[in-house]
Amino acid sequence: MYGTPPADFSLKRRGGETLVLKEQVADVKASPKPSKNKRSIKRHFLHLFLLPALIFYVGFQVYPILTAFVNSFYSFKGMVRQDFIGLENFVRLFTEEPYNTIFTRAFWHNIIYFIGTVVAKLVLAFALALLINSKIKGREFFKAVFFMPKLLSVIVVGFLFSLILNPTNGALNSFLKMVGLAEWAHPWLGDPKTALYTIILVNSWYGIGFAILIFLAGLQAIPEEIYEAAKIDGSYGLKMLFQITIPMAMPSIMIMTILTFIGSFETFELVFAMQGSSGGPYYSTDVLALFFYRLAFGSVDGGDAIGLGSALAVVLFLIICTATAISLFFFKRKEIEQ
Amino acid sequence: MKRKLAVLAFFLFTSIFLLAACSDKGKDSEVETKTEGETTTGTEEEKVEEKDPVELMMYSWRPEDREAYEKFIKEFENENPGITVTFKPYKSTEYGTILTNALTAGQGPDIIQLRPYDGATSIIDADFVIPLDDIEGINDISDEYLTAARGSDGKVYGVPLSLNAGIIFYNKDVFEEHGFDLPTTWDELLKVGEEMKAKDIVPIAQAGKAAYLLSLTHSVIGATSYDQSYIDDLLSGNEDLTDKRFVESVKRMEQLEGLFPKDFIALDDKDTQAMFYTGQAAMYINGSYRLETFENTAPDLNIGILPSFANEEGGETPLVTWVDGSYAVVKASKHQEEAKKFMEFMASKEFGQMFSDDLARISAVPGVEPKHELVKEMTELGEKNPTPYLMLVYLGGGSPTTKTTFENALQGMYIKELTVDGVIDESQKSMDKWFEPVN
Repeated sequence: MYGTPPADFSLKRRGGETLVLKEQVADVKASPKPSKNKRSIKRHFLHLFLLPALIFYVGFQVYPILTAFVNSFYSFKGMVRQDFIGLENFVRLFTEEPYNTIFTRAFWHNIIYFIGTVVAKLVLAFALALLINSKIKGREFFKAVFFMPKLLSVIVVGFLFSLILNPTNGALNSFLKMVGLAEWAHPWLGDPKTALYTIILVNSWYGIGFAILIFLAGLQAIPEEIYEAAKIDGSYGLKMLFQITIPMAMPSIMIMTILTFIGSFETFELVFAMQGSSGGPYYSTDVLALFFYRLAFGSVDGGDAIGLGSALAVVLFLIICTATAISLFFFKRKEIEQ
Repeated sequence: MKRKLAVLAFFLFTSIFLLAACSDKGKDSEVETKTEGETTTGTEEEKVEEKDPVELMMYSWRPEDREAYEKFIKEFENENPGITVTFKPYKSTEYGTILTNALTAGQGPDIIQLRPYDGATSIIDADFVIPLDDIEGINDISDEYLTAARGSDGKVYGVPLSLNAGIIFYNKDVFEEHGFDLPTTWDELLKVGEEMKAKDIVPIAQAGKAAYLLSLTHSVIGATSYDQSYIDDLLSGNEDLTDKRFVESVKRMEQLEGLFPKDFIALDDKDTQAMFYTGQAAMYINGSYRLETFENTAPDLNIGILPSFANEEGGETPLVTWVDGSYAVVKASKHQEEAKKFMEFMASKEFGQMFSDDLARISAVPGVEPKHELVKEMTELGEKNPTPYLMLVYLGGGSPTTKTTFENALQGMYIKELTVDGVIDESQKSMDKWFEPVN
């Protein structure tokens, strides 16, 4: 387990005393192996050291999740838990107006958010990773530049882009007017046709650096020999990309797709910072996490739906878990086939 | 290996014992302070600690009032040595969540700011605050104010501070410079609005990104479409939102779109305030509390106020009013008596006068005479012809509330997703789910 130290291995102590391990190693080798029982105790004893981390994990992750599960089966009056009502919160969420309409609308926005992010962020990130991987000059510089937005807080990014996209004095519309494209100036966040896509683009700008790093790691792991062999077989350009690079980089593509899916269904901060808790204008950027926030912590506006909010949190959890599990299942199967 | 494990185990257990020892000490000292008068072996120092000033934590959603509150608190602390109050404001839009978490956790503030009407009732009914009927000065405050801080049991749980009003602010300089006539009726507003647009002046600096601003403007514009008789009919269940008087108020909002700034639905309140300060816009509709914002941001701004637009020449122009938040004492507080003393201070005329003078607001305390000319004018208008903010005062129930549904639907109307009938329909459906007529 720990490897055998070289025979002349010695450790110099601070006081100058030399501890020769050679003999001790020999002793250990000579001594009889500890009994199974003793080894088992030792192993379990080591588990104790995981306790502090486990306590935090249970306290801040497992406990709130379980509480949400439990709360979803209860009715609430204000912030106080009332009676056990079984699945009624779930039934209301899917059948009662306006919850069902808001839920369906927000769910589709999450789907659009996922597809949009895959197209805008992942495709572009993969193309940039290919470029950076082709050993162009200043690749480290570009890596750092693309990753830089990720260093900012999402709320700060949301605030900055709200200013940039302001229809009257925002930098983007002012720039468009300055370069003679005044007719392109648009209330990007005020028009329901563009608001959600604008947020997707901002999110893609924010997260593209991380995606590039993951793809780059995937691309660098492809052995050079495979490319050489493919070249000998007459594979070049796009053929090489689709037959060698993409299939070989599939693990990183799958990981990024799954992470993007989870991120898209959990998205909250950016939409909240740019469009408020209602996902305005008129719910055109509403997503499930915002709907959950309004239901559970509606603050001034009827924050009495903690039960309903918990039911929505459970549904959100199940959507993410199921989709991730299915993706991983197919991914693993494909890996085995390969 | 064995030695290493033994050292690590020793370290782990020592740490656990040390931590446990610390927590025990904490508990002991807590018990000692609680059991006052008991014979303890504590030193003189510990006894002095017991007389340490009581610290009260006060939560609010008014970060912009911090300076003024700190001044008020200083006055209180001078009069009440031994009690210190910390004013901890949070952003208005985050306040509800923070308060909910603090109250549910059972620790944090001793004094909290309660939203008016239904916003207060949900916290009161959840038993998080104590009744304040017995504190000095509370019964002098008019019942109209106290209603906003009553629980379902009829008891008063908060000290209301102020009456808010929906105001049409106008920039006098813009009117004078361009020779516009000040509109007093709805038709005059539409007429002068067109003149303003012809001169590249935005008639009304309205923001639509935050939907609540739309329902506030609706309350001011609608105040003359529907009157008190309609509100009575609505509350008694004889009429609903499909009544022509209410429909007319929504139609007026639709008509106003032409007088709002371009792309107003993507504008923040701060953007439109800037339009108003800089003379790009002639009028601005918001709560009376914006007066303080103007005083701080553009003290030289030459402004006037209008309560609403009459239906015809010489017609009634009521002022839309509602009670702002109140302050309450948290039940879980260990210093309820001291917190109550602070409540008595807030209900005093001395506090009311400072509040009105420093924050340019209408105080709830009777006998306070506003120094600010515009506050004086608002007070008089409110006394002469008040009308309630219908959506906030009476339609704040439901989840989401009818008020929220209505203002979001107005947003939907402006982005052409809904018609006037669609707005009425969505709001009525929301109201049907919870509203019970008052007999």
